[in-house]
Amino acid sequence: MTDQPLQDLLRELAPQVLGALARRESDFAACEDAVQEALLAASQQWPVEGRPENARAWLLTVAQRKLYSAIRTETARRTREVRDAALTAAMYAGAPDEEPAAGDDTLTLLFMCCHPALSPPSQLALTLRAVGGMTTAEIARGFMVPEATMAQRISRAKSRIKATGVRFRIPSEMERPDRLRVVLHVLYLIFTEGHTSTAGPSLQRVELTSEAIRLARILHRLLPEDGEVTGLLALMLLTDARRDARTDTAGALVPLADQDRSAWDHVAIEEGAALIGATLGTVAAGPYQIQAAIAALHGEAKTAADTDWAQIRALYRVLDELAPNPMTRLNLAVAAAMLDGPNAGLALVAEVEGTGDLDLSHRIYAVRAHLLEMAGHFPGAQAAYRQAAQLTKSLPEQRYLEQQAGRLT
Amino acid sequence: MKYLVMLYDAPNIRENISPELIEQMQALIGELEASGELVSVEALADPAQTQTVRFDQQVPAVTDGPYAEVKEQMGGFILLDVESTQRAVDIASRWPGSVVSAIEVRPLMNPGADPQ
Repeated sequence: MTDQPLQDLLRELAPQVLGALARRESDFAACEDAVQEALLAASQQWPVEGRPENARAWLLTVAQRKLYSAIRTETARRTREVRDAALTAAMYAGAPDEEPAAGDDTLTLLFMCCHPALSPPSQLALTLRAVGGMTTAEIARGFMVPEATMAQRISRAKSRIKATGVRFRIPSEMERPDRLRVVLHVLYLIFTEGHTSTAGPSLQRVELTSEAIRLARILHRLLPEDGEVTGLLALMLLTDARRDARTDTAGALVPLADQDRSAWDHVAIEEGAALIGATLGTVAAGPYQIQAAIAALHGEAKTAADTDWAQIRALYRVLDELAPNPMTRLNLAVAAAMLDGPNAGLALVAEVEGTGDLDLSHRIYAVRAHLLEMAGHFPGAQAAYRQAAQLTKSLPEQRYLEQQAGRLT
Repeated sequence: MKYLVMLYDAPNIRENISPELIEQMQALIGELEASGELVSVEALADPAQTQTVRFDQQVPAVTDGPYAEVKEQMGGFILLDVESTQRAVDIASRWPGSVVSAIEVRPLMNPGADPQ
């Protein structure tokens, strides 16, 4: 425990301390500020004065003191006649004697930060700060926005919580599945944001992906029986395992089939595959589990040629039934092409083309280009690569697609 | 997702801007700031103050004035970080219509790749 790096320890304790405080105090925003102040105090004092015996209790005490002095200042500003004694009595009136398990508080916090009353950008920001224990500056770097912008997003989220009367409690059995789905989606968005905001070693890398994985691990520890939580953690591990192989030394994109599989993180693949292997078939399958199972099949193929496309196609079909969406259709088209030839795939791509989804159009062209090339229609493939390049908003992807088009001249 | 909102001045708006219009624009900016969607906002000086660096066979040559001699010049820009294209367009549509002839909403490229 004492060997653990200070920042890791603080971030692990952050949601526990905030949870304990928010459980007994009504003003969540003030609690959150107080915990951030306590974390800052710890990161300054502990390296000098040594780590306290009970780190969690130390943080809770300091956060509590910060909170009460903030309340006192605020109260004094509003009604100067309020006596300190009365305030002190009120302070301790709500404090329960028994400490709940730290895990429960973290889960409650997650549900609160991912409340449907908040916009998705606010949910992401608040989750990273309140549950992840990241500073506003770190979160801002991760999303590549100025700190002031992120600070506003967080304070807006906190004032929405106050205004809409969101309470610090676990959702009822009835609403729980829906609420958990939002939590999973927020963690997934943090994970994908990490991918889109980082490119090679040149950019400062705030590891949003690692943070998403860490939070998913915590959630999995709290809800080990939930198949979708397990599925999401597995999906993240399996996707992130390929990270280093996704770009070459020059930062150019390398497609899955051409990746150096020895550069994959096989420990992470093994862990992800084991997680999904143990879950699949024991509970009702959900979208994250299916996607993780597909990622595991890719991860376990020794070479691109060894890929079990029949199994992958079957899984995409299940996914398409569970949660129909054009992206799944496109993936299904690729699997069909690998099994039955490019024309089978192109027929499926044609079906997706009518959806008019702007954010997907570059992917549709890219898949079409790839399948046309497989079919030997080079001019058509080249035109489709160019269209895809024009429509993508990712720089490495654009370069890759232009390169593919150039290769065919 | 980040978007550059390019505001093209309405003809002669700089001479005719009213305090009410300025207030309207400031209110919208204040709202975007509060919601955490505003990355930055800048007004540009008069187009007459533009210096254009042209490249003739990769050799730079500096001339006075904007590149294009058109009536519609960019008067300012807003950088937004919003949830969707629709949201960016909705924000642009709320700009006071009398100060602009048109607004272009253009997505930024991101430096990383999408996962998968």
